[in-house]
Amino acid sequence: MIQGTKNSAIVTNRDAPALFARAADVQAHKERFFELLSPASGRQTVILGLLGAFIFFAVWEIGHYATPEEGRRFLPSVEQVVGELIFLFSEKGFFYDVLRSCIRIFGSFFAASAVAIPLGIMMGCFGKFKALINPTVSGWRYLPAASFIPLLLVWFGPSETAKMGLLFLGVLFFLIAMVLDNTEAVQREYTEAALTMGASRARIVLEVVVPAAMPAIIDSMRTMIAVGWTYLVIAEIVGASDGIGAVMMRAGRFLNVDTIMAGIFMIGVLGVLTDIFFRVVQRVLFPWNIKKKV
Amino acid sequence: MTTQSQELAVSANGIVKQYVNGTFTALHDVAMEVHEGEVVAFIGPSGCGKTTMLRLISGLELPTQGSLETFGTPISKPGPDRGMIFQAYTSFPWLTAKKNIEYGMKIMGVPKDDREKTAQDFLKLVHLEKFAHSYPASLSGGMKQRVAIARTLAQNPRIILMDEPFGALDAQVRWEMQEMMVEVIEREKKTVLVVTHDIEEAIYMADRIIFFTRNPGRIKESIPMEFKKGKRFKQKEEMFDQDGYAQMERKLFAMMREEIVAAAAA
Repeated sequence: MIQGTKNSAIVTNRDAPALFARAADVQAHKERFFELLSPASGRQTVILGLLGAFIFFAVWEIGHYATPEEGRRFLPSVEQVVGELIFLFSEKGFFYDVLRSCIRIFGSFFAASAVAIPLGIMMGCFGKFKALINPTVSGWRYLPAASFIPLLLVWFGPSETAKMGLLFLGVLFFLIAMVLDNTEAVQREYTEAALTMGASRARIVLEVVVPAAMPAIIDSMRTMIAVGWTYLVIAEIVGASDGIGAVMMRAGRFLNVDTIMAGIFMIGVLGVLTDIFFRVVQRVLFPWNIKKKV
Repeated sequence: MTTQSQELAVSANGIVKQYVNGTFTALHDVAMEVHEGEVVAFIGPSGCGKTTMLRLISGLELPTQGSLETFGTPISKPGPDRGMIFQAYTSFPWLTAKKNIEYGMKIMGVPKDDREKTAQDFLKLVHLEKFAHSYPASLSGGMKQRVAIARTLAQNPRIILMDEPFGALDAQVRWEMQEMMVEVIEREKKTVLVVTHDIEEAIYMADRIIFFTRNPGRIKESIPMEFKKGKRFKQKEEMFDQDGYAQMERKLFAMMREEIVAAAAA
């Protein structure tokens, strides 16, 4: 402002409103943090994401050092947890446990998907089939999967089948409901257009409804596999001797909080990787679906 | 009787369409004849059953009562002999423009080479050669609709049914599409039925307008566009210059106003 006045020879009263207006314009362009309808730019997304993570770890670290000496083992520091994780991998064969957990999760999840996706699509396409299946299947969603643990134990003992069965049940019924929704959300005119083109029902289901619903179904899978991870620890309490959950449970008995937190951290990392995997699948398989991105 | 009805693209008699177990009557005692090569527009107030009539002809829905035939064959289900274009964009987003156009032919079992050649021709007809390999997500609304039109034409249907095909487009694009469609109809010599709420569009595209009225839906009047003297105009301005155009538009506006007033009084 001072610079401006110096440069222009005379500033009259009549110029004042103009200057004022310009200042207001500049003001309006100033970016506010809490701005409606204003998504973060690519660079801001990265910076803010890192900042958020940094704040989280900083609060954790401060929490650790703020805890009195004798209580600190119940809230280990970030470096202790990371160190423990490295120790688990290098000395305790943790890789094997992670692998076992991954096999359980992905194995049971894909088994659930193999049932839920065709079933959900069929229900979404054919009203009478939906009327036959849906009432029965809907009820199951209200039963907590964990309540099947005693039953699974009686039937299968503390076996792999029992653990996978729990993960399977925990995901299946929700996934069916979500795939059904995704299928019903397919624009009805796509089906009608295909009908007027003389397409057979099988062709319409496979070549119109499936490709139309698939991006949304992959999204549903991404959401449901996260639920699968939450059941993993419960499943591995069921007499498991290996797997991330078993390692954590064993550590719990000896109050090894750093090991427990390392396990939680590991599940978090695997969860994020799974999420990224599904997003990449989405982008690779459905390049035509670009409008949904960003 | 049989010989004559076989030449009729559409022949409807005593058509009744009821919904919700007969509590709502969408169409009541509708009869019409559409000749091969004719372009007919259905207009009328909302709820007059014009779209229902089109869907009955498409075979997507069946009449509650009455007889409905196309070229002498009763209509019992949809088929590629009656291509339909919807107001909502129905070009499949997972297929490129060219693959979309090929899809209808694929259903009919046209060999791949022929399909590709025909698709190329129709891309040209709807001015989309440059976008052959684009997905609909990167096309404008008008272009998506042109893909759907080309896909329908590529199946070589005897009748083209259009349900407010340009209703979702902005004014300028709509106007371009109307002219393109007239050009296409002239070249392909198709029978066309178009549902619209746009009076000017109806007059411009149609050889005859069937005016529907509501409560229950039925035909009020069948109005031939006599002022056109059997011509179709490549450009809309040519139509405005014709004697009788203004009177036709005035007549239809008056009829529509009458419907609106009656609806308000009811």
